[in-house]
Amino acid sequence: MRPRDGGARQLPARAGIGLRAPHVAAVLAERPPVAWLEVHAENYMGGGPALRALDRIRADYPVSLHGVGLSLGTADGLDTRHLDRLRRLIERVEPAAVSEHLAWSISGGAYLNHLLPLPLTEESLAVMSRHVDEAQARLGRRLLIENPSSYLRFTHSTVPEPVFLAELARRTGCSVLCDVNNLYVSQQNVGLDPVRYLAALPPAIVGEIHLAGHAVNDADGHAILIDDHGSPVANAVWRLYALALQRFGPVPTLIEWDTNLPGLEVLLGEAAEAERLLERIARGAHVCAA
Amino acid sequence: MSALRETQAAFRAALLGDDPSATAIDIRGDGLAPAARLAIYRHHVGETLTELLKDVYPVVCRLVDARFFAYAADRFIAAHPPTSPCLFEYGDTFADFLERFAPCRHLPYLPDVARLEWAMSRAHHADDLTPLDPRLLGEVSGDDLERLTFRVHPSVALLTSRWAVDRIWRANQADADPNTTVHLDGPAASLQVWRHDDDVVFRALSAAAFAFHRALAEGRALGTAARIAAAVDPRFDLATSLRELFHDDALVAFTLDKEECS
Repeated sequence: MRPRDGGARQLPARAGIGLRAPHVAAVLAERPPVAWLEVHAENYMGGGPALRALDRIRADYPVSLHGVGLSLGTADGLDTRHLDRLRRLIERVEPAAVSEHLAWSISGGAYLNHLLPLPLTEESLAVMSRHVDEAQARLGRRLLIENPSSYLRFTHSTVPEPVFLAELARRTGCSVLCDVNNLYVSQQNVGLDPVRYLAALPPAIVGEIHLAGHAVNDADGHAILIDDHGSPVANAVWRLYALALQRFGPVPTLIEWDTNLPGLEVLLGEAAEAERLLERIARGAHVCAA
Repeated sequence: MSALRETQAAFRAALLGDDPSATAIDIRGDGLAPAARLAIYRHHVGETLTELLKDVYPVVCRLVDARFFAYAADRFIAAHPPTSPCLFEYGDTFADFLERFAPCRHLPYLPDVARLEWAMSRAHHADDLTPLDPRLLGEVSGDDLERLTFRVHPSVALLTSRWAVDRIWRANQADADPNTTVHLDGPAASLQVWRHDDDVVFRALSAAAFAFHRALAEGRALGTAARIAAAVDPRFDLATSLRELFHDDALVAFTLDKEECS
């Protein structure tokens, strides 16, 4: 447990779980031995019982705020009202980490409720860099930026995704949140090479890893993986995770589960598996997932 | 216009508009038609926002059935997409939309049921403010009481309907007696909705009490609000109404001569 306002507010290089509303009461009552918790920032920007519960939880666990609404990749300017709401939440929760996405969701004033894909161009890199700079200055925090799960690629993309992220980190000082399930989903959907991707990301900029389950859907007779966070982490994703740990060393790792949410103990079981691999890598052992 | 802005505007049109083909966007097929790839995003946006509206408007959904609700939600989302990433703010204009939506004109009470459900959702997410301690009023001299104005808790909403929306709402809860009949020509509803501790509740107010609450919420002084209520019904009892407001934790501060106490 961290001190209330300790100087070194950092996520431990251990396994955490994404905390969703149906599990809040159980976490408050049982205080399960999980190293840290991550919540979606937007769910706590109103008042009421949810925010009060988070006040109690953050007293006992390091908390990571994972934003989904900043739309850092939008060609329009940032929503400063939203940025200020995030700043107020950060001041209240004092999170160990604040993360967002390599994506956009706002166009012409409409919020499209999806992490939408960016053409990977010099223009997008300039837009993302400007917005990450602006957000970090306004929030007074370094951001972690997550790689997307992709269902399409643009013909005019010119920058490979890991190069885009590494350059974004170089320009803005942000870190990278490497979602290993997203790498696998993008491999299956648009042919991204996850092994080369991991090799292209400088280990020093990777500050967090996400793991989650995905669904397999049919689109016109073509198998498409949907990043629905609705099942256990797939074996292929555990194998990629082991590879990521070999390259990056022990990195704080989150189990995310959003749809078909099972009991808290199922998430804790997945976190225990991640923790087992993290401990092995911390001891300098070779890791290899089943 | 920048290339990125053009791509995003075309993407937005493909997700919300009636033409999902999006020929203006340069998408690589990679073995699957670009429109099919775009449809994955379109499906997610439509489905998650429809589910969200269903969660906010469960009684409206029950009254029209889930399939019709999904159709109405689809039209609403296309015409009025969210404008804020905080989705608990989304759906505030759904009642106004239903009022103008020709396919449900035969259910004239539906928009007011939606207004009640929106007020409940809004109350759930309203900011936490400490309720006013009634003992603080004891420090105000009798002559000054008339001139007090109050700040009402942000979870409080006051709504009226010519339909018995409170009884319609109760009859459509899971634990309601399935044989309940709600007479649509029954008494109109004057309701106060608010969050009490962690629960969102509502209750019917008399016409005079409703006028009193509304006058206070509009920032009228206590004496003026009492006179407005008495004009509605001479039997209006100020002490009882004030006691109820404190019991409901509906007040958070009062102001006397521009000085606020809370």
